[in-house]
Amino acid sequence: MTAYILRRVLQMVPLLLGITVILFAVIQAAPGGPEGALLESGRFIDPSVVEAYRARLGVDQPVPVQYVRWIGAALRGDLGVSFSTTRPVTEMIIERLPATLELMGSAFVLAAILAFLIGTLSAVRQYSWFDHLSTSASFLGIAMPVFWFGLILQLVFGVWLGWLPVAGTGSLSGGGLLNHLQYLVLPSIVLSLRYVAGWSRYLRGSLLGALRADYIRTARAKGLSEGAVVGVHGLRNALIPVVSIMALNLAGLFGGAVITETIFAWPGIGRMFVQAMFARDYPLLMGILLLGSVMVVVFNLVADIVYAALDPRIRYE
Amino acid sequence: MLHLAYDREIDVLNALTSQNLVDIQFSMVEGLVTTNDENTYIPVLAKEIPTEENGGVERNADGTVTMTWDLQEGVRWHDGEAFTSEDVCFTWSFVISPASQVYNRHEYEGIVACDTPDEHTVVFTWDGVYGYYPGLFEVVLPEHILGGKTAEEVVNYTPYNRGTELVGTGPFRFAEWRAGEYIRVVRNDDYWRGPEVPAIDEIIWSFVPDNNTRFTAMKAGQYHWARIQPTQVEEARQLDGYEVFLVSSNSFMHLDLSLNTENARALFSDAAVREAMFMAVDRQAIADQLLQGTVRLADSPINHTSPFHNADVPSPQFDPDGAREMLDRAGWVVGPDGIRTRDGRRFSFTLLNRAGASDRIAVAQVIQAQLKDVGIEVRFSTLESAAWTQKWRSGDWEAVVSAWFLPADPSVTGLYACDGSNNMTGLCNEELDELMKESDRFLDFESRKAALDEVQLRLADEHRSLPLYFNVVPELVSDRIEGHRGSGTNFGSFWNLWEWRLR
Repeated sequence: MTAYILRRVLQMVPLLLGITVILFAVIQAAPGGPEGALLESGRFIDPSVVEAYRARLGVDQPVPVQYVRWIGAALRGDLGVSFSTTRPVTEMIIERLPATLELMGSAFVLAAILAFLIGTLSAVRQYSWFDHLSTSASFLGIAMPVFWFGLILQLVFGVWLGWLPVAGTGSLSGGGLLNHLQYLVLPSIVLSLRYVAGWSRYLRGSLLGALRADYIRTARAKGLSEGAVVGVHGLRNALIPVVSIMALNLAGLFGGAVITETIFAWPGIGRMFVQAMFARDYPLLMGILLLGSVMVVVFNLVADIVYAALDPRIRYE
Repeated sequence: MLHLAYDREIDVLNALTSQNLVDIQFSMVEGLVTTNDENTYIPVLAKEIPTEENGGVERNADGTVTMTWDLQEGVRWHDGEAFTSEDVCFTWSFVISPASQVYNRHEYEGIVACDTPDEHTVVFTWDGVYGYYPGLFEVVLPEHILGGKTAEEVVNYTPYNRGTELVGTGPFRFAEWRAGEYIRVVRNDDYWRGPEVPAIDEIIWSFVPDNNTRFTAMKAGQYHWARIQPTQVEEARQLDGYEVFLVSSNSFMHLDLSLNTENARALFSDAAVREAMFMAVDRQAIADQLLQGTVRLADSPINHTSPFHNADVPSPQFDPDGAREMLDRAGWVVGPDGIRTRDGRRFSFTLLNRAGASDRIAVAQVIQAQLKDVGIEVRFSTLESAAWTQKWRSGDWEAVVSAWFLPADPSVTGLYACDGSNNMTGLCNEELDELMKESDRFLDFESRKAALDEVQLRLADEHRSLPLYFNVVPELVSDRIEGHRGSGTNFGSFWNLWEWRLR
C-alpha cells in the first residue's frame, strides 16, 4: 500500500506539469490581455501606457517564453506576482484559503450528515411518502441553479424573516464564533445542496442493493435486530461506493465555491478567481488553477485509498 | 460608523496607478483639485485654481505658460509630516516617468518644469497651452514615503498599495484592509479643514460583488449605501429608510459607425445614409423600456451636468418613414428578403458586442430590430470582454455600442480628431479637427465654452456617432446619511466625504 501511494504521488508530478501546460495555453488563448481592465474603464488611456504596462508584466513576450519563465519560478516555489495587486500570488492564496476551506468543510459535513439521514431513511422505507418526497426533492436539488437558490434563501432568511445576514463573514460585527456561524449558514446550505441531493441518491441505491444481499438475509436469520442489520451489515457495505464519490466530489466543492462565494460576498479563493479571470491576472489565475488541480489529483488518490481501506477485497499492488 | 457596500474589491490603494476607477481612495488622499457634483473642478489642497484672471496663469513670449498654484497652509500628512510644494513636484516627476503607467500620463507631459519657490507655492512651466490643466493632480503622493524610489518601485510598493504605509491628507486615515472583505478608514482628528470635520468616526467599504446580493443586503438593512442596477430602481423606491439617487454619470453611451472595413465604407460613406440610420433608432423607447426611464437622452458627448454642455445641439429624432425615404433616395432599394441593396451589395453589417454587457447588448438588440424595420440587416459578433476590448481598440469593426467615461474636463479631441488616441472609427474632418484642437488651447471658460459649443454642433452634423444616453449610476442611500452629493465623474461620489454626516 505504501509503495502504491508513493508511486501515485510520483505520477502526480508529470501529470501536474502537463496540466500547467494546458492551463497556461488555455488562459493565454483567450483573447485580450491584462490591459483590458485599464481600457475597459472607458477612460482615455494613453496608448504608450498600455505598451509599457504589457512590457512590465512580460505579456509582450511569446507564450512559450512566458510559460518557461513561469514554470521555472514555480518549480522553485515562486508563483509570481499578481498583475493587479502587485502582491505575491502565494501570499494572496494563503490569505484567502482558510475562508474557502471553512466553507467547503462546513458544506461537506452538512451534506454528509443530511445525505446519510435522507439516504438511509429512504432506502429503509422504500416507496414510503418520505422516500417519494426525498426523491423529488433530490432531483429539484440537483437541477436548481445555485445562484437562484442562494437568492431565494437570502430573500427568505435575510429580508422576510430577518434571521440571518446575507453577505460577509461577520468579522465586523464584534466577532465571536456564534456571530460568525450565522454568516456561514446560508452559503453552506447553498454549497451543500447538490451534494445532499446527489449523495443521498447514491446511498439510497447502494443501501437498497446491499439490503437485498445474501449476507443480510443471513444476518436477519441469525436473529439480529433490524438496527444492527441495517447499521452494521447494510450501511457499512453500502457506504463504500458513496464514500469514494464523496472524496471525488471534494474537488467539485472547490469549484462550487466560486459561485457561492460571489453570491454571499465570502472572502475566499473562488471570488478571487472570478476577479482574476476578468482582470486577466495570469499569475493569480495560474496559482489558483494549480491549487485546484492539486486538489483534484489528491482527492482522487484519497478516494482510491479510502476505497481500499473500506473494502478488504480491494488491494493495490 | 458608516457602512457602504462596494461593488468589487479594488486592486491597489495608490489612486494614480490603480487600474480601476478610484473613489474609496479619495476618503484618504487628496490632490490639488477634485470634481464636484456639477462636473466642475474645485480646489482642495490648492487655495484656488489658477487662471489668467486671478493672475495664476501667465503666457510667456516663447509660447510657454507659467502656472502658479498657492497651496493650503497647515496641511499635514496622516503621519504628522507637513504637506509641501515638494510633494506636488514629486508627484509630477513620478507620473511622467514612463514606468509609472499612470493612464493619463501624457497629459502631464506638457509640464516641463516644476519649481518650489517656497513650501506653499508650486510653479509649473508648460510647453504650450493646455485647456485641461485644472483636471490634473487629483492626487498628490507623499514624497517622504515614496521619494527616493524609482517609478517602478513605487508602482510595486506594497506597503503603500495595501495601506499600511498609506498616508494622505484626507479626512480619513487608513485603518485596515481585510482581504476579500472590506477596507476600513477612521477619522483624521488632525484634518486641515478644522477639528469639527469629518463628522463620521469610521467608514467601512464591504466588498459585495453580486448585484442581487448587494440589493438584498440593503433591503435587509446591512449597509447604508450601495450602487444598484437601473432595473432595481423601481423596487428600491418603495423601500423605507432609503432614498434613490440617479447619478447621471459622464459615461456616454453611443452607437459608433466605423469606416475601417471595406463593407463599412461601402455602406456608411454617405452622410445622408448615416443620418437615415440614426433616424430609424427610437432612443426614447430604449431609455423608457430598457432603462425604466432612469436615464437622460444624450445629444452630445458632454453631459448635461457639465457647464460645457451645449443645449442647442439638435436631438436626433425618431422618424422611420423619413429614414426609409432617405435610404430610397440614396439608391438603397428594398430587396425580396426585405433588406435593402445597391449595386449588388446588401445593406448588412456586423455590430460588435461584449459578452456579459447585458445593458449594451439589449440596446444593440433594439437597434437591430429597429434598423431591420427600415430594411437594414445587423448581424452580431459577440466577444468576451477582454477580447472585445482588443478588437474594439484595433478599429477593425463596423459598428459598436459602447461608452466613454469622460472626466469633468470637456475635451473630446482624443475621441474624434484624425490622430486622436481614442479615435477608433476612422472619423477625420480637418475643419472639425482644427476646432477641437483650438478648444483645447483656451484657458478661460467663455472662449473654451464657445469653441466646444461649435464642436458639439459639428459632431452632430457628422452623424458618425449616435448619442444614446448618459449611463445612470443609481445609488441607494440610507436617509440617515446627510451631505451625499453623488457625482458622475470618474472621481465618483465620495468627493465630499468630509461633509457627510450620519444621523
